Amino acid sequence: MLMTAMEFAQFPVLSAILFSTILALLVILFIPDDRPKLIKQVSLGFAAVGLVLCLYVYFAYDTQKGGLQFVERFLWVKSLGIYHFLAVDGINVPMLFLTAVVLFTGVLTMWELEKRVKEYFALTYLLVAGVYGVFMSMDLFFIFVWYDVSLFPMYPLIAIWGSTRKEYGAMKLTLYLLAGSALILPGILYLWAVAGGNTFDLFELQRIGFDVHVQRIAFLMLYLGFGILAGVWPFHTWSPVGHVAAPTAVSMIHAGVLMKLGAYGILRVGMTLCPDGLVYWADLMALLATVGIVYGAFVGLAQTDLKYVIGYSSVSHMGIVGLGLATMTVDGINGAVFQMFSHGVMTALFFSAVGYIYDKTHTKMIPDLGGLSKTMPKASAFFIIAAFCGIGVPCMSSFWAELLVFISAVKTYPIRGILAVSGLVVSALFMLRVVQKTFYGEKNPKWEHIPDVPLFLASPRIILVGILVFFGLFPRLILDVIQSAVIPFVNSL
Amino acid sequence: MMKWTLFTPELFYVAMAAVFFVGSLQRRVDSRRLYRWAVALAGVGLVVSVACTRLEGFLFFDSYKVDLFSQFFKVLIALGTFFVILVCSELHGIDPRKHAEFYFLLAVCTLAMMMLVSAVELLTIYIALELSSYSLYLMVPMRHRADRYVESGIKYFMVGATASAMMIFGLSYLFGMTHTTYVAEMVRVLPGLLHQPAAVVGLVLTLAGFFFKQALFPFHIWAPDVYQGAANQVTTYIATASKMAAAAMVIRFVGLTTGQSEALIQLLVVLSVLSMTFGNLVAIIQKDIKRLLAYSSIAHAGYMLIGILCMTQRGYASAVYYAMAYLIMNFACFMVVIKVADDGHNLQIKELAGLHKRSPLLAMTLMLALFGLAGIPPTLGFTGKFLVFAAALEKGYLLLVIIGMINATISLYYYLIVIKAAYLLEPVREYPPVRVDTWTRILSIVLVIAMIYVGIFPDRFVALSEAAVAVLP
Repeated sequence: MLMTAMEFAQFPVLSAILFSTILALLVILFIPDDRPKLIKQVSLGFAAVGLVLCLYVYFAYDTQKGGLQFVERFLWVKSLGIYHFLAVDGINVPMLFLTAVVLFTGVLTMWELEKRVKEYFALTYLLVAGVYGVFMSMDLFFIFVWYDVSLFPMYPLIAIWGSTRKEYGAMKLTLYLLAGSALILPGILYLWAVAGGNTFDLFELQRIGFDVHVQRIAFLMLYLGFGILAGVWPFHTWSPVGHVAAPTAVSMIHAGVLMKLGAYGILRVGMTLCPDGLVYWADLMALLATVGIVYGAFVGLAQTDLKYVIGYSSVSHMGIVGLGLATMTVDGINGAVFQMFSHGVMTALFFSAVGYIYDKTHTKMIPDLGGLSKTMPKASAFFIIAAFCGIGVPCMSSFWAELLVFISAVKTYPIRGILAVSGLVVSALFMLRVVQKTFYGEKNPKWEHIPDVPLFLASPRIILVGILVFFGLFPRLILDVIQSAVIPFVNSL
Repeated sequence: MMKWTLFTPELFYVAMAAVFFVGSLQRRVDSRRLYRWAVALAGVGLVVSVACTRLEGFLFFDSYKVDLFSQFFKVLIALGTFFVILVCSELHGIDPRKHAEFYFLLAVCTLAMMMLVSAVELLTIYIALELSSYSLYLMVPMRHRADRYVESGIKYFMVGATASAMMIFGLSYLFGMTHTTYVAEMVRVLPGLLHQPAAVVGLVLTLAGFFFKQALFPFHIWAPDVYQGAANQVTTYIATASKMAAAAMVIRFVGLTTGQSEALIQLLVVLSVLSMTFGNLVAIIQKDIKRLLAYSSIAHAGYMLIGILCMTQRGYASAVYYAMAYLIMNFACFMVVIKVADDGHNLQIKELAGLHKRSPLLAMTLMLALFGLAGIPPTLGFTGKFLVFAAALEKGYLLLVIIGMINATISLYYYLIVIKAAYLLEPVREYPPVRVDTWTRILSIVLVIAMIYVGIFPDRFVALSEAAVAVLP
């Protein structure tokens, strides 16, 4: 009791992170349209505040103690048992850090934006508020609310600032994701109703221990609902289309962070509340994940649009997350969460690198490019580093993540595990092919006059590369955090 | 004598009707002055209704019950009327010589609906319902240069008359079965009689009269034509205030069975699924925004019915909350329509093009209202859907909730088309600028704040709607 009282007495860091984004949104709305520079500076400032706070949470989180920390909890709607309940454990902490990094680098990446600047940054902050909200809420009602809040700004963000077939992509993405939430809400409400209809608190519900039959139904709904956002095959088709259509930073946030919401939702809501349902459906999860890994790699092989390539590699990489979760082992889930983090950073780097190339050449078709490493070596380097990370080269953070997942996958599901590993070989092939065609080979004279990326614009990519390499060299620093939540979680299964 | 204070809101609207009746006798019409009078009177009416919320008691030989449920709906009706009158400043949709009559009928209709929500005796209910219907029958064909839209007035009358014939037939069954016309008595007797088909048939036929008002499938056929054919302000009134009374009455009559009739529940489930699916699917292809909102209202009648058919306190409370949310969101949409089409023509979706530049405030109001109707958080529409679905799942209607959610996704498609028009499309030709006066500005801001505030802090409003249904028999 004393402990909780002390925790309440602390500064509410999580609320501060969450409400700083809403404050940013309001501040941006009140800046006049004709001061785009100021809007960008304010956005960057708030993103930096968020980054600092998330870093603080990351380092202040006590991995020895584990469990929920930075708890804030009070009653919101009495008659239904809805709580404003913010807390983090080892799984949320890296996700918050990831969100802050991608937001910060995303704002920097869009520094040269000229069209409807105010609305763009306001919507971005709305989107990020939703993401933060999901990653720190421990109440099912608020998880769902923030989840939906993070989805609908995608429509205007893609439809207004996007490129290739933007209206189609935006509509498809929005409807798919909302169809996903059409399964999540009944799933959540079903569990709530079965539990007696008086609490949405995740951990109170967990203690109830639902009937096996209930768990199977609810888990399937939650898995499919969140799975759509996680890009689970065969519900992934919105993802390449949406990523291609979206503007650079939105692709970064979306592929980097938003898709993780889906995987996080499966883990936090589905697997926590329905462990028996997980056991029942794990086979299916592993199967869909493996198909996703292999399918993503093969389809990626046939793409000619750089962003489609990244889109399909995301499908493939998110399959690895799904496979890790399906193993139900400490290593597998550790790897899955680590992969969520490193894939987030890596995809952000990918899209950020392509964003610069596209801004300058106005094309992202691989055959039109070629030999870029000679005209803009720095800009090319970022893409190539991201590609290496995607392949899983050692010293990159995703190497460790993929290693952990595959080791436990081969143990748990030998055939699917081996298939997935071979899928990785194909994905190496297609990544290298893209790198070779785009950055080496015949130089296209059309792009010779293009300047290389200046230092300021390169800064977001440098940060992202730095994080990838840092956690590649010191994976313990993040695995300790993740593990502090995963070990008790797996033991409770 | 004290008893008459219970009747204050109704008496006030009688007085308001009288004022405009005198106004209609004058030879010369000054629309500006009539408008100012109407706003002032409707504003006072709202204050009076709010002030009378806590009254309780019976009137007229117990055929008229004043309690929190009825008073809550009276506030909603008064609020709807006030809203509608506020946006009548440019009443070009109606012949200037008929403005006084228009306000007169509006006041009478409001009075009738207030009586309807309080009436607890079958004949009183029927008379109140007819009074409100006839005022609406008259208002629909009042449209300026109505030749093209005369059809809708006739259609409304014909369908309405049929529905009311069905209803009075149903009422006669109920009377025949229970030997009483008092609802309080009926609620005691009727649950024991529900095994007899006649009782269920009587109840369903009675409900048909209110379903007609709510535009629930298959009693919806008037809605798109009437929404399109009536003047924008009249449509707004039909779409907001008049839905409140209908919702209240459906809750009251479904409540008569106290959840005893499996057949009735199944029928309501079917009607609600059909209504949601039909409304949403047909809305997709609409070009005229009022027609689109008509079909969306058919769908929303279905959502609201989900809450009602649970037949639990929480279900009714969720329906009451949903009705309140619907009033605000739907009015916000119509306000934008009225302001953009201020010469009173029927607004097409493509005419909204570039609204975000022509009037950012109206565009934002429209976007929030549409997201609210689609059930996207953090608007009050989301909370409404959430409560309705939560109540349904407490009764175990998982499949119904999934169908409802899928429908919400479908509805998002056409709401997004409208939002796209307002935020993305460039106008193909020069549209007249949108004039937004100070009052509209204030009204928009109030609506935006209300939509978000009630969505984020629903606690007090949920408690209020639960208290309102707690007094139901």
